[in-house]
Amino acid sequence: MATTTATITLATSDMADNSFSVSNTSTLTTAGTDTGITETTGLGRKKFASGSNIVLLDGGLTSGIAADVTADKSAKVYIKNHNDRGDGTKYVTILLAAVEIGRLYGGDWMFIPWCAATGKDIEFTASDATETTLEYTCFYE
Amino acid sequence: MATTTATLTLSSADLLSDNMSLSATMNLYKGGTTATGLEQMNYHRLIVPTGTNFDLIAESDALKDNSNYVYIINKNTDVTDYIKISINSEEIGRLYAGDWLFMPWSCDLSAAANDSTIELEAFTHEHIIEYALFHVGETLPTASDS
Repeated sequence: MATTTATITLATSDMADNSFSVSNTSTLTTAGTDTGITETTGLGRKKFASGSNIVLLDGGLTSGIAADVTADKSAKVYIKNHNDRGDGTKYVTILLAAVEIGRLYGGDWMFIPWCAATGKDIEFTASDATETTLEYTCFYE
Repeated sequence: MATTTATLTLSSADLLSDNMSLSATMNLYKGGTTATGLEQMNYHRLIVPTGTNFDLIAESDALKDNSNYVYIINKNTDVTDYIKISINSEEIGRLYAGDWLFMPWSCDLSAAANDSTIELEAFTHEHIIEYALFHVGETLPTASDS
């Protein structure tokens, strides 16, 4: 068993009249147990130059990098848009199948659970066809 | 304008044959701006019963198609407890006890009503949930007696 932790800190000193900070650490475990997750796709880095919809992690596949991810368990996915923010008009839209989750602008990251069932692909669409670099990984059982 | 940061650290000493450590920090900016920070947020703590899929964060015109960010944590401690997080009927995934998520959220009003509402359902036991929405705007309801 491995011990993998994910820590988030959200902080602002000037959004409210007092500083606000939240920090939490999650230990990544298999579903319904305290046994640590032992598998990962590894850290991926992908450049692309397309405004088309592209599958990043293919749920329910029988082969490929995400083929071993068991559906409806406790998989977690990290994605970061490595581009510079620029003028803030270029972004990557992250989708779950056909449903839009949100936009990652340059420098943004996300960390979400993933049900990984058949058809529940994690996809992305860039706002234009200039080069974009994504970094991603999946921890799973 | 406010400065708000979100920092992630992923680490493991024994998942791989060598130590793994990854860190990422981002500023929460308004979409379409170079560096204008989000200025509004909501932070909630809830006790959620089992048996019903609830709307957690509803769509609104003030939130649409920009940069909103959502943080949700499952504060339960029983390892069998989990919540399902969905957008409309598409399940994103499960947060077991102690798990959290952080993601951008597009409030898309272009399609069917409530098609981008973030939903939550608790399983096994009632759940204590904390969540935050860092957002671009909020429309308060007009008082009924105004």
